[in-house]
Amino acid sequence: MESRILRPTLGLYAAAFLLFLYGPMIVLTILSFQGPEGGPQFPVQDWSLYWYKQLLGLSEASRVAQLPVGDSLLRSITLAFMTTVVSTVLGVMSAEAFRTRFKGSGPAFYLIILGMMVPGVLVGLGMALLSSTLGISRAWWGTSFVLHVVYTYPFAFLVMLAIFNRFDRTVEEAALSLGVSPAQTFRRVTFPIIFPGVLSAMLFSFTLSYDEFARTLFTAGRDLTLPLAIYGTFSVEIHPNIFAFGVLTTLFSFTLLVIYGLLMKRFTNRAARFAGQEDNG
Amino acid sequence: MTALSTDSPMPTETSPAQLRERKDRRRAWLLLSPGLLWMALFMVLPMCMVVYVSFWTQTTFSVNSTLTTASWERFLGSATYLHAIGTTLRVWAIVLAATLIVGYPVALYIGLFVRNKTLQTALLVACVIPFWTSFLIRVIAWRPMLGTEGAINTILMKLGLIHEPLTFLLFSEFSVLVGMTQIYCVFMVGPVTFMIGRIDPSVIEAARDLGASFGTIFRRIILPLSLPGVMVGAIFVSVMVLGEFATAASLSGRKVNLLGNIIVSQVGSLKWAFAAVAGVVLTLIITAVIALALRIVDLRKEM
Amino acid sequence: MLTVRQVSRRYGETVALEGLSLEVPADTYMSLLGASGSGKTTLLRLIAGFEEPDAGQIALDGTRLDGKPPHQRDIGFVFQNFALFPHLSVAQNVAFGLRYRAANPLTDNEEIRARSEAALELVGLKGFGHRGIGAISGGQRQRVALARTLVCEPRIVLLDEPLGALDANLRARMCDELKAIRERLGVSFLHVTGSETEALTMGDRVAVLSGGRIVQADAPERLFAEPANAQAARHLNAWNIFDAGLCAGGGAGQLGVRFDQIDISAPGQAPGAHLRLPARFLAGEFNGPTALSFFRAADGSLLQVTDHLSQPRLPDLVEGQDYDLHFAPQTARQFPGAAR
Repeated sequence: MESRILRPTLGLYAAAFLLFLYGPMIVLTILSFQGPEGGPQFPVQDWSLYWYKQLLGLSEASRVAQLPVGDSLLRSITLAFMTTVVSTVLGVMSAEAFRTRFKGSGPAFYLIILGMMVPGVLVGLGMALLSSTLGISRAWWGTSFVLHVVYTYPFAFLVMLAIFNRFDRTVEEAALSLGVSPAQTFRRVTFPIIFPGVLSAMLFSFTLSYDEFARTLFTAGRDLTLPLAIYGTFSVEIHPNIFAFGVLTTLFSFTLLVIYGLLMKRFTNRAARFAGQEDNG
Repeated sequence: MTALSTDSPMPTETSPAQLRERKDRRRAWLLLSPGLLWMALFMVLPMCMVVYVSFWTQTTFSVNSTLTTASWERFLGSATYLHAIGTTLRVWAIVLAATLIVGYPVALYIGLFVRNKTLQTALLVACVIPFWTSFLIRVIAWRPMLGTEGAINTILMKLGLIHEPLTFLLFSEFSVLVGMTQIYCVFMVGPVTFMIGRIDPSVIEAARDLGASFGTIFRRIILPLSLPGVMVGAIFVSVMVLGEFATAASLSGRKVNLLGNIIVSQVGSLKWAFAAVAGVVLTLIITAVIALALRIVDLRKEM
Repeated sequence: MLTVRQVSRRYGETVALEGLSLEVPADTYMSLLGASGSGKTTLLRLIAGFEEPDAGQIALDGTRLDGKPPHQRDIGFVFQNFALFPHLSVAQNVAFGLRYRAANPLTDNEEIRARSEAALELVGLKGFGHRGIGAISGGQRQRVALARTLVCEPRIVLLDEPLGALDANLRARMCDELKAIRERLGVSFLHVTGSETEALTMGDRVAVLSGGRIVQADAPERLFAEPANAQAARHLNAWNIFDAGLCAGGGAGQLGVRFDQIDISAPGQAPGAHLRLPARFLAGEFNGPTALSFFRAADGSLLQVTDHLSQPRLPDLVEGQDYDLHFAPQTARQFPGAAR
């Protein structure tokens, strides 16, 4: 059989792919433990946590300027949080609207989807032009924020659309037939059932916004977000402190992921106790 | 979902069904309107602004709204900028092909050959995990990998395969292509795996029982059924690569100038009208690519 | 009393219901018999208010229902797939309507608990309240769905093929229980089904839905013995319907004769008082207490004859041979119109 050769070959290919995917991060992690005199390259002079300390401002006067991450980290998290809330609400509302068939739904769908297709640098430029024409000052919590929502709302919308596709409408009708108003039905039946989807939409929005910088570049004004702070270091010489920073932010993201996983697990556990009737009905 | 009960006085000629339909439609548009309004104000309007400003008059440090085609003439008359269009298209084509070549076999392996659901999920998660590192960090991570004193050169020298470090690895178009392929190939792997995973194994089983070779099965069953996934992946990759500038800025040492880089540098020197022209050109290219892809696949059905 | 008058419902080009009228009297178990795709479910959805009719009126005890949103209609609905709330326990499912309904919801937890408990007891699920929906069987889910509906004391209960998802054993038992529960509560049930046995067993009255309208509504015995028209007769799966011209002296239009009221004899041997119908024996089918024999008449129509094993009355039949089917004229029912 060909698959006797094919399977291991493809397996090896997939393993090589994973190495390709993770290689740079592994190298970056190794080099983040570079000694104080070492540069952003091999060989590693001596293993130390120097660059982590430097990053956190724990080392004495250093030959390298500290990365301006403190405030920008806070801004990025706030921005991502604002974006998450707004785009999830918009996404849920729009997906709910798409459950009824109506004229003009096709163009509306593509208008929303366009938000994730348009390159960030273009809408960023457009927004910068617009705000300077209208005399609105640019700020991460204003001009950047609305663009982040433009980007993440389509993702939230698609996630919710997929969730509603699998949603059994009769449970809502059951609630209505019991005399429960549409609003209460949404609150007590629809929302609890789609909640895992809402959580996924939120995770999507948060990660995308937290990491977004093409849309922020022209629109953030004076105060930088985290990705902008990193981007600023591109033009100058890089030092291992960026690597240390990369490792730390990745760890931070994983913490976020774990929190999401725990929330999800708690929810599905509860759902498993009352497992859905459709699996063995 | 609030009860949008708008019980208007009932004209006798409209049936309850029509009234209900009207009410449902009104509710749908009400639910949709904040989102559409947001998109119109913060996406469509800025894009229109880009087109508009591309016809403004550019002076040294500012623009004014006197309409002119001067910026367009300068752009289209400049070899450098036409060259940038060429570079953008070339990088796009190569990265798209590379993500397909790199990603498709992986998707085939995960979607078809790994039948253990847990392992399948684990592999997919492994593909997605790098996304939880900042995009810019992932880009910059290629520097210590490809540099003259980077990992690859160090290993090759240690192995005695080369004596001089390879200099073409970093700060070249090559590094940009490698970086983009690594960053974007997951967008190909995901949709393709999804489509291949949806193929009913019994169909393949049946074909095999009828004596079809793997080549035939692949050509006749797997390839056609995975094609929508490839198209969705291609749309994702295209849109992102065409709008790119950070990877080129970080890894090319200014040797590769994409349209995105031109926009950024023009904005940096306050040449707004010029940046707008580059923006319009970029929009046209992306529209053409998406339109082409959408002719082949209906995105709304595949989502 | 629920009154449906001249109700029509179209989906684009397809007509689901066409000028349908139906009355469900108070304190009645009404079965609605119809083939799949006949618009049975559409009718229930119109009554419950999940959809609205294109024309016609629906009224409950004299008050118009059409145009009202579903949650203000006070009509219970038991779904084919039960539609239980997957995120709630059995008790929470049952208490749901009491607690969250728009019109006078209960706030006293003790009262809610007592009434849910009573409803669960009514359907024979005492002590199951704390269980999850996933932890109970199909039949139990059916009962939870019923309890959830009944606890709100609706003015009428609509049941959409409520036994369709259950296995045969359970179905027979639920039949009896549904009937008993309804009698205790004195509320009307409108039970939709595609099975004539189910419809005839359950209903105090049975309505037959065909071609988008009710073709007959009657007591089950009468419907079975004297179907008013060919469509109604066809749904009972007990009547041969054929062109009256096939029988010498059969008259015009169509004739209907029950499967069990046809006798068979060799050609030319039939009693003179009987109507005769020559046909070829195709095949026999044995299914326990009865035996079925299939015949093909001269115009190609298929005829069935049943024979009860306890009282055999048929001769030995040879496949491919011609026989005379005959029956007493008074057992036949005359329907107007041409066959099919």
